[in-house]
Amino acid sequence: MSEAVKPQRLALMHLFWWFMFAQGGVIAALLIPVHVLVQGILGPLGIVPVVDRHYDTWVSVLGNPLVKLYLLVLIAFPFFHFAHRLRYLLVDFGVPAAKSVPAQVVFYGGAVVVTLVTVYILLTTVPI
Amino acid sequence: MTTEATAEATTEAPAAPREYSWRMPANWWTRNRHYFLYTVREFTALPLALWLLWLLVEIRRAGDGPARYAPHSSTAFVVFSVVVLAFALYHSYTFLTLAGTILHFKVLDRPVPARLIVLSQFAAWAAASVVVAFVLIWFAHE
Repeated sequence: MSEAVKPQRLALMHLFWWFMFAQGGVIAALLIPVHVLVQGILGPLGIVPVVDRHYDTWVSVLGNPLVKLYLLVLIAFPFFHFAHRLRYLLVDFGVPAAKSVPAQVVFYGGAVVVTLVTVYILLTTVPI
Repeated sequence: MTTEATAEATTEAPAAPREYSWRMPANWWTRNRHYFLYTVREFTALPLALWLLWLLVEIRRAGDGPARYAPHSSTAFVVFSVVVLAFALYHSYTFLTLAGTILHFKVLDRPVPARLIVLSQFAAWAAASVVVAFVLIWFAHE
């Protein structure tokens, strides 16, 4: 009886972490391959000129606030996706402790730490 | 077990049930192609995370000043990127294909076919890649 009259609570935290998981997955899927291809392979091999191959061009791009915002989204969001996937990969590999609250704090907290470090680096490197 | 102990067990309150938890063998994911591909898909997170951390280092290094800045060019770095690219493409392929299963909506009262949704995801991927590649290469010229 008492359960029936209990007001339904929105699982806001659930909503938040699933949103971050999904967005991180989309951003990683759409944006990471081209960055790895151009900055990790074509640039170092000298096939195409790339913006981070020269100090002047890299700094002038990094000084742009829109670029900073883009890099924050590109780097921070996927880590919330990665945290979830790696935590459950551990569960699948027979580590039930990965389901525990401390493990959640470590994995999702890690994603938060990466976000904060990214914000700090973007704000202090070539400040706007 | 002695008969005495058995009698005791039947008269007293039942002991806590023993747990026979089933444990997966450690190599379960190598036994079946689908399990293996699932594991690879979940594992893609690790190389992608490492590469993004590298990008963070590359950004930080711009603060070192012009004299000390030198871009990464070693063979090891290129090999690392090639490996990461393979995982990145697999993540993109699996994640964008998933949209056809998850997304359901109607246009003019007709359900949009899953193939069309997947196609739109891959089109978005292509468009984003072209734009990002253009910016990365175009702004390399002052």
